[in-house]
Amino acid sequence: MKKSLFILALAVLVGTVSSTPASAGFFDFLFGKDNGEVNLYTNRHYDTDAELLKQFEEKTGIKVNVLKGGSDELIERINREGESTNADLLITADAGRLHRAKAAGLLQTIDSETVLNNIPANLRDEDNQWTALTVRGRVVVYARNRVNPLEINTYEDLTAAKWNDKILVRSSSNIYNQSLLASLIATEGEEYARAWAEGVLNNMARTPKGNDRAQATAVAAGTGDLAIMNTYYIGKMLNSSNPEEVKVGKQVGVRFLDETHINVSGIGLTKHAKNKDNAIKLIEFLTDAQAQEFFAEANYEYPANPSVEASALLKSWGEFETQDINLTKLGEFNQKAVEIFNEIGWQ
Amino acid sequence: MLKRRNLESQFNIWSISSFIIIMFVLIPNANILLNIFEPANENWNHIKEYLLQDYIINSTILVLFTGIFSILIGLIPAWLITQYEFPFRNFFKWALILPLAIPPYIGAYTYNGLLNYTGVIQTSLRNYLGINVNPTYFDIMNIKGAIFIYTIFLFPYVFIITRSFLAKQSASLVEASRTLGRSSFETFRYVVLPISRTAIVAGTSLVVLEVLNDYGVVKYFGITTFSTAIFKTWFGMGDLNSAVRLSALLMVFVSGFLLIEKFSRGAKRFSYSTTKIRPLSRIKLSGVKAFLVSTFCSLIFAIGFLIPTLQLLHWSWLSYAKILNIDFFIFSFNSIFVALFASILIIIISIIVANTVRISDSIFSKIYSKVAILGYSIPGAVIAVGILLFFLGLDRLIYSGRLVLTSTILMLIFAYIIRFLAIGYNSVESGFDKVGKSFFEASRTLGVGITKTFFKVDLPMIKPAVISGFLLVLIEVLKELPLTLILRPFNFDTLATKAFEYASDEMIHEAAISSIIIILICGLAIYGIHKLSARKGSKNVN
Repeated sequence: MKKSLFILALAVLVGTVSSTPASAGFFDFLFGKDNGEVNLYTNRHYDTDAELLKQFEEKTGIKVNVLKGGSDELIERINREGESTNADLLITADAGRLHRAKAAGLLQTIDSETVLNNIPANLRDEDNQWTALTVRGRVVVYARNRVNPLEINTYEDLTAAKWNDKILVRSSSNIYNQSLLASLIATEGEEYARAWAEGVLNNMARTPKGNDRAQATAVAAGTGDLAIMNTYYIGKMLNSSNPEEVKVGKQVGVRFLDETHINVSGIGLTKHAKNKDNAIKLIEFLTDAQAQEFFAEANYEYPANPSVEASALLKSWGEFETQDINLTKLGEFNQKAVEIFNEIGWQ
Repeated sequence: MLKRRNLESQFNIWSISSFIIIMFVLIPNANILLNIFEPANENWNHIKEYLLQDYIINSTILVLFTGIFSILIGLIPAWLITQYEFPFRNFFKWALILPLAIPPYIGAYTYNGLLNYTGVIQTSLRNYLGINVNPTYFDIMNIKGAIFIYTIFLFPYVFIITRSFLAKQSASLVEASRTLGRSSFETFRYVVLPISRTAIVAGTSLVVLEVLNDYGVVKYFGITTFSTAIFKTWFGMGDLNSAVRLSALLMVFVSGFLLIEKFSRGAKRFSYSTTKIRPLSRIKLSGVKAFLVSTFCSLIFAIGFLIPTLQLLHWSWLSYAKILNIDFFIFSFNSIFVALFASILIIIISIIVANTVRISDSIFSKIYSKVAILGYSIPGAVIAVGILLFFLGLDRLIYSGRLVLTSTILMLIFAYIIRFLAIGYNSVESGFDKVGKSFFEASRTLGVGITKTFFKVDLPMIKPAVISGFLLVLIEVLKELPLTLILRPFNFDTLATKAFEYASDEMIHEAAISSIIIILICGLAIYGIHKLSARKGSKNVN
């Protein structure tokens, strides 16, 4: 019985290895097959992304292999895989992470005029090692029935005494909070940023917990009046399959602040990409106007390509002015931001 | 002479394969743990100064209270089921294991979705009765909530082990106590509790290790513990050295816990003077007592399984039109396939090592049995990177410049083996323990080789233990998350990763379908284990 089990196991094993796309390398090596593929490590996992990649495959005949995972884990993996990495491209949902990959020497310049034309300079790496695909703002969401949005205009206003016990925000281990604080370090300096974080900490309605949606829900429930969160979560709540969540989405309003902190989902070309040409083709495809509309809308985000208009819902929230920094700074000051959070005790 | 040499060479096949297996388990882990001897860096000082105290306090609170509550709601029904006859007793015998089918992180999402402001309880109160309750009363996203989640989804470990112990071993002592006029409570306090200590500790250790290793629940609830800290320092700060330091501390923590228990137990040991296993004669409950006992068990079953499952079914109903498609068959196939494959390998390996350990008396075999269960006490993230480094090293040996083995499904399965070998090994070992060595020795005396003896004599006798070990591993692999997330190959999703992806995008309803499929498969496996143990025990224990 054991022998037959073993043979079965072996047969299954061989079958799997040969049918796993990742083992393509192995069989290419054996049979010298030509590679018409590109390997993508990504932190985005929306069903619509898969749809878009399929369109790319149909258009170009280049097969896209996808490995999904947490941004940090994927970066660590590329780092450990070194020169022999399978990854050609890396997508993360935060500019700070892309900068970290760049700083670790994992990326290389994307040599493409098309990309330079598609994406404005402030949404790209200084050396064009990565580029934004979509943009989101980190804004204040307020209770429509209790708060006059005109009372809150800047991030600094969040530290005012009148919001004592009123502010909801998630934990500092979240990268969006880290990037927000990093942006304040970049624009106003470390001491200002520390004082700001302490001020927000003092005004919190509860210890940080839950995700961004939970903050909006807590505003609707009356636990607090203001929540710091990313714009797209309101879009998701308004389109939720839970009617109660839709109600919450309608009870809160989006308030853009002066110099709104923005962050991006972006894509970088790995230093040791084996399919560099195909990879650049995919970046060009994803930053192109046609794909941009689809890609941004999937997650209720703003397109990074300025020739594409935001969706009607996003436009209804109004125009806003963004922080005047290159997003590279978010990565440069990430470590400092994490240290400040830990030191002041923002959980 | 010829015969004797033949025997020795056969023996070598077992011990050589065991040696190779043990090396494969040891090397990736040792590779990582060696980092401890590197000097501490700047980050470590920062962690020590601002964070470490929180990690220790939170992890201690979680482990301590989850441990205590798991013993309470694991041991009490185990005892009631052994001691009394009451309505639905046979159903609860296996139904109280079902909470194990729900991975704690899915349980956490589900309960939070049920209880929060937009959940069914508060919205019903609000929309139909016009009651606006203070949402903090229903807030489970805190350390108390985490203890609740861990307890209700992990207590079955205590339940299974203590129930099977009590069913088989308690009869003579309990009946003596009854004959001597002790009340049920006194019997429980002075007889059952002390004799089941080893079983309780075994079950609770599993609970504790699961709690310390869990990442999903504490991450979601925003509680900083060792496991979130290990992820954070490693991947967030890119600091492998400090992460390993934290893991090492965690392992010290675990060993400390086990040692304290061992010392406090001291020389007290309860073994049985007779090998005859005999069931306890059950007392039939009726009236109020029967009602109370049944209600108590129903309550545990409802909270641990029925309520979350119904909630997930409801969410699946709300979201299936949006997301259910052919891909779900692929995810299910992937999940079942890797789980089956890993479980088969784990059981074969467990048998090889356990048999070698049993036959040989050398110091090596003692070490083997310790190494085999090592992976279960090492955090998943640490195993993941240990294995990644190990495979990268192998690839450099094989063919430079291309990854041949890394990022294949082999790597993932290898990781499962290291992580869950302990579960398979413990089952097989307990099977061997029950059988003893006398049949083996008789067969050997009659001149039959070790391998032939194994297939003809040992294997048929330990078959139930092998199959239930296999099913236990299957459940664990199906539920596994961190290793799968970090090590999976291209274009590879399982039900668990899919559920986690949706949930981490804050799409709880969309996560429900994958979760329900996981629960269904694990539930079937649990039912299988139950049927198996009922059959093998039908002659003496029921």
